[in-house]
Amino acid sequence: MAVRGRHWIAFWLVALLAALWMVIARQTAALNSARALNDLREERASLEGRRAEQERRVRTAQSRAVLLPRAQKQGLRLPADTEIVLLPAPPSERPF
Amino acid sequence: MAKPLVRLRVVEIGVGVALLALVLRAAQVQLVEGRRHAAAARAQRTEEVVLDARRGTLFDRHGTAIALTQETYHVGIAPNELRDPARDVATIARQLRLPQSDVQRGLRKRYAWFAGPFTALEVQPLRTVRGVHLEPLLRRFYPSREFARAVIGRVGEDGRGGGSGGGGLERLLDSLLAGTPGSAVVLKDREGREYVSPARVIAAPVSGNDVILTLDAELQEIAQRALDDAIDNMQADGGDVVMLDPATGEILAVASRRADGSMRPSAFTETFEPGSLAKIFAAAALVAFERVRPTERVSGEGGRYRLPDRVVTDEHPLPSLTLADAIRVSSNIALVKFSARLDPDEQYGVLRAFGFGAPTGVEFPAESPGRLRPPREWSRPSSASLAIGYELAVTPIQLAAAYGAIANNGVLLQPTLIREIRAPSGAVRYQHRPEPVRRVVTPDVAAQLRDLLRGVVEAGGTAERAALANFQLAAKTGTARRVVSGRYAAGQYTASFAALFPAGQPQLVVVMKIDNPQKGSYFAAQTAAPVTRSMLEQALAARTVALDRARLSNVATTADRAPLEEPDGVVPYVVPWPYVRDSGQAQPERTVPNVTGRPLREAARTLHARGFNVVVKGWGVIHHTWPAAGERVAAGTTVTMFAEPPPVSRP
Repeated sequence: MAVRGRHWIAFWLVALLAALWMVIARQTAALNSARALNDLREERASLEGRRAEQERRVRTAQSRAVLLPRAQKQGLRLPADTEIVLLPAPPSERPF
Repeated sequence: MAKPLVRLRVVEIGVGVALLALVLRAAQVQLVEGRRHAAAARAQRTEEVVLDARRGTLFDRHGTAIALTQETYHVGIAPNELRDPARDVATIARQLRLPQSDVQRGLRKRYAWFAGPFTALEVQPLRTVRGVHLEPLLRRFYPSREFARAVIGRVGEDGRGGGSGGGGLERLLDSLLAGTPGSAVVLKDREGREYVSPARVIAAPVSGNDVILTLDAELQEIAQRALDDAIDNMQADGGDVVMLDPATGEILAVASRRADGSMRPSAFTETFEPGSLAKIFAAAALVAFERVRPTERVSGEGGRYRLPDRVVTDEHPLPSLTLADAIRVSSNIALVKFSARLDPDEQYGVLRAFGFGAPTGVEFPAESPGRLRPPREWSRPSSASLAIGYELAVTPIQLAAAYGAIANNGVLLQPTLIREIRAPSGAVRYQHRPEPVRRVVTPDVAAQLRDLLRGVVEAGGTAERAALANFQLAAKTGTARRVVSGRYAAGQYTASFAALFPAGQPQLVVVMKIDNPQKGSYFAAQTAAPVTRSMLEQALAARTVALDRARLSNVATTADRAPLEEPDGVVPYVVPWPYVRDSGQAQPERTVPNVTGRPLREAARTLHARGFNVVVKGWGVIHHTWPAAGERVAAGTTVTMFAEPPPVSRP
């Protein structure tokens, strides 16, 4: 049976719709990926910010400006050099 | 009236001309002006945006971040998009730490804009609020604001080290840290708003290099805190501290502060007359050119020596002095007399060889070369003045490098602040290796100079108060009149101190300078020297400082410590406490525990837990202690542990 004109029209219409569907599908997937990427980037920025804040707090808490007054309140003090013992280590081939 | 055919022809020609004009115009628009129109259309629909590159991180030598780049945000709010304005305003005000009235006032506009910048943590709850638009912005962040601020500097308002307001290492290393910005194209609507659409990246941004500095965060904190306390307690105008590893030239700590709290990098950029700190360099010339014998003495002149142009005095005169005595008691008269044996070229040559009068080459912008005039510009008293540290202007960093040469067996190294540079991928692009500038003196002369400096810290020396009990120091005090606006200011002095720790195999050079201490003594022996001792004690007690404790354990000179048979151990163990009370107080007696047969570390822990100090002799397992196990002695008593190698089991 010979392909008639209306069949050709139908074929091209379907082909056009398929192409349009593919374009839309690709665009939608790209947008979803972009959103996911953006979410991840935001999450990373947030985590980095949290880490920096934690590091800052740890650094402050570890600083002598904070630790020394607290230690002194508890009756602790910095040792004199006579109170610091550097134990001589044994040679490596012998068990310690 | 024309015939219809003619009229038809006229209409045809008119239509033809119009069509031709249309085609020509179309051709003009498409072919001639096509690119311009296409560009205009692109500009209306798209925008090329700059993708900022992340600036590299500055680390200390142990990997602690000193300066890093973080994403922060500007916050924009479209009031008409808010779902529940009352609730949203409260949330926004709380998160941005702004008064609610300010936020409400902002929302009366069509679009409210809060520049901030706000941190990721602050804006996190706002991400889900409809109508809130966040604009990311990379911003420099300093976890510890005051950490080596004078050296690190700051980025300018444009986020670059080279911009206005930038300075210090941020400025110097800008080209390394900045990275390369990228670019991308985004789609816009008619109003110029970006579509939610993936950007087309034209060039990805390349992050900057990370730079690992030579600074040691813990030593830096020790130095800064000691300097702050010294300036406050002595009501001084300011001061500087430099700590340097003499074997590598790496600067481990550098602190500078003025009385008003400001921090400028004066350790690199501001000079002072070193006074007696420079006497060791006159001694270096005398020893190197063999102009003095160790036993040779000169008269102390009763503490007052008249030269043709000036009178030289000593604070604590001795009847006669050797060169060692002259350095030990810091005698101006003896040094002036000895240095008269040097000709100006020799004296100048040695000072120049130690690096004075020229920049050290440290990577710091605007480093001062100091001042050392060549002999042709000298006046008659110049030679005597230079011998005792006047007519010479130096920076603390030059002094540290010069004392470092004495510690480093006579080789002057270029000081450095940069240990390593790493690409964003982690690949090492540069690693510092010690850079010798020149050999200044022979190893033998350097050893003699260290011996001279050792005497300064011994009984009768000017730096007696800096002495440590278990480690020998080699050091020199300097108290010099202070120059203010080109003149010696009456009653103003610079107290300075340079120390090599430990004296035998120096691992640390410390230079401390206190400007115009006004409360208490102004002598370096009572000001800079004890502060340096305190810094060294803190450095010993700290765990992460750049000290090689395996080597230190072998040079500790506790009087009753026996020499090690095989001193090549590798397991340093620091016991910084027990927290015993001041030994001046009466201590309760307690029983010495039996630690016989136990390993050293365990035994030391046990004794410390009981409140005793510990001295070790030998290595291995404990054979016996003195006082012996079971004896009752006061808490805080030093218990000597005698250890022996463990028995070797044979199959």
